[in-house]
Amino acid sequence: MAYHYRPQQPTNNGLPDQGFLWNVFQRVDRDRSGVISESELQQALSNGTWTPFNPKTVRSIIGMFDRNNRGGVDFNEFMGLWKYIIDWQNIFRTYDRDNSNFIDKNELKQALSGFGYRLSDQFYTILLNKFDRQGRGQVAFDDFIQCCIVLQRLTDVFRRYDTDQDGWIQISYEQYLNMVFTVL
Amino acid sequence: MATYPYGSNYPGSSGPAPGAPPGSYFSSQHQAGGQYGPHSGQYGGPPPGSPYGGPQPSAPYGTSAGGQYGNQAPGAPYGAPPPGGHFGAPAHGGQYGPSAPGAPYGSASSAGYYGGPAPGGPYGGHPYGIPQQRQYGSGASLAGDVPAGIDPEAFSWFQSVDADRSGYISLNELKQALVNSNWSTFNDDTCHMLLNMFDKSKMGKIDLYGFSALWGFLKQWRNMFQQFDRDRSGTINTQELQQALTQMGYNLSPQFVQFLTTRFAQKPARSTIQLDSFIQVCTQLQTTTDAFKEKDTNRSGNVRINYEDFLTLAISRML
Repeated sequence: MAYHYRPQQPTNNGLPDQGFLWNVFQRVDRDRSGVISESELQQALSNGTWTPFNPKTVRSIIGMFDRNNRGGVDFNEFMGLWKYIIDWQNIFRTYDRDNSNFIDKNELKQALSGFGYRLSDQFYTILLNKFDRQGRGQVAFDDFIQCCIVLQRLTDVFRRYDTDQDGWIQISYEQYLNMVFTVL
Repeated sequence: MATYPYGSNYPGSSGPAPGAPPGSYFSSQHQAGGQYGPHSGQYGGPPPGSPYGGPQPSAPYGTSAGGQYGNQAPGAPYGAPPPGGHFGAPAHGGQYGPSAPGAPYGSASSAGYYGGPAPGGPYGGHPYGIPQQRQYGSGASLAGDVPAGIDPEAFSWFQSVDADRSGYISLNELKQALVNSNWSTFNDDTCHMLLNMFDKSKMGKIDLYGFSALWGFLKQWRNMFQQFDRDRSGTINTQELQQALTQMGYNLSPQFVQFLTTRFAQKPARSTIQLDSFIQVCTQLQTTTDAFKEKDTNRSGNVRINYEDFLTLAISRML
């Protein structure tokens, strides 16, 4: 659903009005618990390719907005989550120039370069292989988000160690494990 | 978008949030309220320069030279083949000897490799799905239909898991077939990991041979799990995990093991992990350790690594 929704008239903060979002929230919250769970969100999201939305992406996103560790988001949190997905959608559309609902390696490269990453061509190949969940040599919307989230988190943990910002770090075995398992 | 200083090939702190919508993940300061919980330090990520609960000097991977990094741990699915016939051998309690369990894709040449008689009732209580014997025609001897090299038990399990008779196990079929000791289904991450590990064709589904290997893999892990679940609670707590990992050859701080149990606990408050997460943790630990070892050529327990190498290492080994 969400991927297909067009935001209503943006208000000042870039969000559609609350009434609209409340309607969406109620539709997505199927069991009327007041909290949207991972599976409810997954059912509501579409990557535009008729495959179920990547559950990992759903979990990552919920994890970001679920401040109380309930395994879901309430309406307030949902408003932030909605904006987050819409923003990703806009980014994705920008780079999916042929509107195929997939971005290829070159587009991925352009997108990530646009975000400020400077990575080798070889690395983009690895990245694409890893996040190309449908085996098409291209990345769908949900996997694109996941790819960016993982990249961000790894960059973030790396930066924590790279205090002198020279792009090199010295780490012990357990520090490395910690970095990787934090991002998992 | 901003460019970054030459020589610093990852986005600098002054840059915009890469990939992140405005005001989110990557802003140079964490958002008030810490919506990105894991990064606000709650997982105990150490501040740079202050390592994990005390200095960890030069004996990083384990006390015994040979067993460093836990290379005797099971879960090297594509690793070297263990000595033949080991799936047929009765499980020896606590022996992680040279025959590392869980090297399912070992030499394919040795037909009958997985074909040894299964040790008695590894799936006692049928937690992995109830094999339906004799569903192939009346009175046909089951063994007669089993392709060479496939354990009959794995074969009959395959038949029952392959609900749509496609000849392949899909992710959904796998999810429905695998359960923890409390009958909850395996978590998505672990199912995904297993599928990726045993889907040699990269088609997103597992054929009979991959499944047979998976079956052996799970059997080994399940035995391990039960062995380390000392209080028979059906879950592994922090102490039990620490013992398990130590026995596998890892030397990890209590803080890190605690972090693992918290991170992979089904309910964060309980700090105990189930079979699915146990498999996930151990398997990921193994590949992550292998990755580190590759870089740590002189076995000092420390590596110096640049940004892109770090990303490559981490991403390519994420299961």
